[in-house]
Amino acid sequence: MTDRDARTDIFARLQHSASGLSNNDILREQWALGSAPAPALPGSDLHEAFLTNVLKNQGTVDCAAGRVGTVKAIAAHLYANYRKHRLVASNDQRLAALPWRDGGLLPRFGSVEANEQVALSYARLGVAELGAVVTFTGKANPAANNLLPEQHVVLVDAADVVAASEQAWERIAALTEAEERPRGINFIAGPSSTADIEGQLVYGAHGPKAWHVILVGDLPDSILQQARANAGVQT
Amino acid sequence: MEQTSRNFLGNAHTALGDEARAERRDLLALFQPIMRQSAVDDFAAHEATRAHVKKVRQHTLDNLAYYLARYEEQATHNGNHVHFARDAAQMNSIVLDICQRHDAQRIAKGKSMVTEETGLNEHLARAGLDVRETDLGEYIVQQAGETPSHIVGPALHKSADEIRELFLEKHDLGERDLLETSDMVAEARQVLREHFLTADVGIIGANALIAENGYSMLVTNEGNGDLCANLPSVLIVCATIDRILPRAEDATAMLRLLVRSATGQPQTCYTSFYSGPRRAPDPDGPLETHIVLLDNERSDILDSGYREILACIRCGACLTHCPIYAGVGGHAYGSVYSGPMGSVLTPLLTSLEESAALPNACTSCGRCAEICPADIPLPDLLRDLRSEEREQRLSPLRWRFGLKMHAWLAAQPALYRLLTGLGIRALHRLARGRGRFRRLPLAGGWSSQRDFPAPQQKTFMQLYRERDRHDG
Repeated sequence: MTDRDARTDIFARLQHSASGLSNNDILREQWALGSAPAPALPGSDLHEAFLTNVLKNQGTVDCAAGRVGTVKAIAAHLYANYRKHRLVASNDQRLAALPWRDGGLLPRFGSVEANEQVALSYARLGVAELGAVVTFTGKANPAANNLLPEQHVVLVDAADVVAASEQAWERIAALTEAEERPRGINFIAGPSSTADIEGQLVYGAHGPKAWHVILVGDLPDSILQQARANAGVQT
Repeated sequence: MEQTSRNFLGNAHTALGDEARAERRDLLALFQPIMRQSAVDDFAAHEATRAHVKKVRQHTLDNLAYYLARYEEQATHNGNHVHFARDAAQMNSIVLDICQRHDAQRIAKGKSMVTEETGLNEHLARAGLDVRETDLGEYIVQQAGETPSHIVGPALHKSADEIRELFLEKHDLGERDLLETSDMVAEARQVLREHFLTADVGIIGANALIAENGYSMLVTNEGNGDLCANLPSVLIVCATIDRILPRAEDATAMLRLLVRSATGQPQTCYTSFYSGPRRAPDPDGPLETHIVLLDNERSDILDSGYREILACIRCGACLTHCPIYAGVGGHAYGSVYSGPMGSVLTPLLTSLEESAALPNACTSCGRCAEICPADIPLPDLLRDLRSEEREQRLSPLRWRFGLKMHAWLAAQPALYRLLTGLGIRALHRLARGRGRFRRLPLAGGWSSQRDFPAPQQKTFMQLYRERDRHDG
């Protein structure tokens, strides 16, 4: 039996048990299904909820306002963790436009290579419900930069944070109407982890051992403190 | 894998005799339900989401031909080669053919129950390919020459000591201690990173196939599936036709149930949607992508009284909540899928004759149905399979005879009460106040691993009558 024969055979069998509805009726029924109930968010503020859930997913977080503030936040994190100023930045126009010298940083633009510890991405979206950032694979964000470094640092604009997956898909549909459908849409919600040996949680199974999210925008000063309190994380 | 479900009772007996593993199973059976419960308690919309996803899945299965065609159209539009396979052998040969056309030697594989079901690894290995499982748990069982004992935690039956010994033996990395779990994880990371970077073909499964846009959803915590999907120049996605969902939002709604039920997390680390091969300006990603859609009995199940099992999302919660699974572990089932969902699915994928013991591996306690995120009436489906067994005379003659005797006796209330009354009094006397039996004649299998509690002096009916008289 060839592939095509198998296809014919499978469809014939499925027709046998099908509801017999017309395509229009199927779509009408699908529309009537509606969306899943909206999940509750921790706290009353969207950005606070996003940061809280990133923390619960074992990420570390920071907030930054303006382009200089963003570069300084990246530099502070890099220096605190690695005592260095080098990193690989994805070829995102928003990253290219940052005033790197103001933070004393020396980014190399492109895909992460062996022995490069930190990669920086600019997310398309943040999803508060999931505590996740969403990146698209492509020129502006090679898949390797999400997966191969020891630490993945991700910027996300406050204006790009949505409440739940349903809103994320609405935004993704709008974005992909303007551009080609990306090869990969990656929801990232934590450093790579495994509990496959006796159920003990270990970070850095295959991908990054650490995941740092910087929320960019004009946000209240207390938001980080509030998010840490919600997530039960010590400052 | 070779199915040994016929020997379920023998396998179970052996498993119960391994005290260290039995203890580990007891611990898992204690903690995993607690983790799930705490995640579900934190998610107020759990029940409403469960009802919603059930409706969506029902609608999809009712119209699977329509949605499968939409998916095929969209996936093709995205640049994939879409293949169909009627059975395991056909899927395996399609995958091998793709690998051979690319002169592939090294294969990096993400966790996929479907390819366990078809025995793909053995098929590729026989053709001389170096197939490496990359999920840590799967990698461990592959190195040990075993099969997964659980859908989500394939190697949880092994102790850290066993895994340390295994790594010291299999990895030629010189003198080292591997004292900590993190050392072992780091070693596997190092060995597998090298494999990822040099693999010719990546093979992954899919948690969902989305009809409206042709993307497939891949859910992992380790990120291994994503490395398989992004680094090698050829990607093959293996999935069954029942993984189709209409819309992207349906996949993420289902995910809310899947992660909480599987590991007690609110969200997995990597949830990825892949559409096809690399686009012209992309710096990385596979150059060629294939989707192999397998039927393997699903279209028949859809047309049968067991179609609800197709809604299973492979979270493994029914395994960890099942007293039988907790007692004997996944390997005793002698099939790819174990626990309650496996006891339903295995007879349908293979034959009721080969798997006759599995639907009987059930106490009808109903815990699986209570927690199943897809709301599958597992105990009912198991009962229906048992009833088919009886009709087809597949259960052992002495079981059928015993059940017939019991049915007859239960229909004679006076005689039933008399005999049970006598039996219980006799057992009570025999126990001589010890409260339990270490051994019981004719029930050696039962009492080999646990004591049998001695009955109180009277039957329920006797006590009930006495109380009635006393009150009245």
